[in-house]
Amino acid sequence: MIEGVTNSDAVPVLERMLQFAGARHRLIVNNIANLDTPGFRPVDVSVGAFQEQIARAIDARRAGLGRFEPADSNQVEFSPTGVRLHPVPVGANILFHDQNDRDLERSMQDLVENFLTFRLAADLLRSRFDLINTAIRERV
Amino acid sequence: MLYNLLDVSTSALVAQRTRLNVIAANIASQKAILNANGEYEPYRRRFAVFAPGDPARGTADGVHVASIEVDRGPLRPVYEPGSPFADADGYVSYPNVDPVIEMMNAMEAARSYEANITAIEATKSMITAALQILA
Repeated sequence: MIEGVTNSDAVPVLERMLQFAGARHRLIVNNIANLDTPGFRPVDVSVGAFQEQIARAIDARRAGLGRFEPADSNQVEFSPTGVRLHPVPVGANILFHDQNDRDLERSMQDLVENFLTFRLAADLLRSRFDLINTAIRERV
Repeated sequence: MLYNLLDVSTSALVAQRTRLNVIAANIASQKAILNANGEYEPYRRRFAVFAPGDPARGTADGVHVASIEVDRGPLRPVYEPGSPFADADGYVSYPNVDPVIEMMNAMEAARSYEANITAIEATKSMITAALQILA
């Protein structure tokens, strides 16, 4: 990490976004893999809560505390190297006879949304790095 | 980290394909009243039982076929008094395979397979996007 270059601005926020979307992708993929498994309950974490944590950390940084340090919640835990998720059962659908409350449409929607979030973060991060590159080369 | 996610989806593809194999065997054997040795023993329907986790890779994610069970349900009696396998009342027992149920299950397995293919496509695109941050 380069002080003031890679840990300022939008970069740390995008980094957290990437880590979160990557970790959540695992949950969604596992939910889809277990569509027909008896007794399996799909799990997920709250995206809204994560966004609130990030928003609060951005506000705190703006208020002059300087560093971007999102606080942990009971579902999303931040460490210096990544994001640890503590998912909970979604329970969004009726319980089928095989004790699974799968919801294929919602799972596929989550998959697409989460994928687009990941790609958005990756694209934005790349454009930040391109900017830094341009500054280093001192040439447009 | 993202690469392991392909394993999760692949384990589901393998499980669904195994299930489809069992269904195909059921449909193929729906009139089989003799066993492999030519003795009278009507075929009984098989079904795959899924369980979470992937013991092949030792992970808690993914899915695997825990066992393939034999359906103990009643066989289907068909009145065929002329058959050498008929019982005292003239009935021959045929396998307890219902082609409609098998087709239903086959469609469900195929749809689940497709859902996992879509998940793999998403994972692939995410890996590509992550690599493009660097290059």
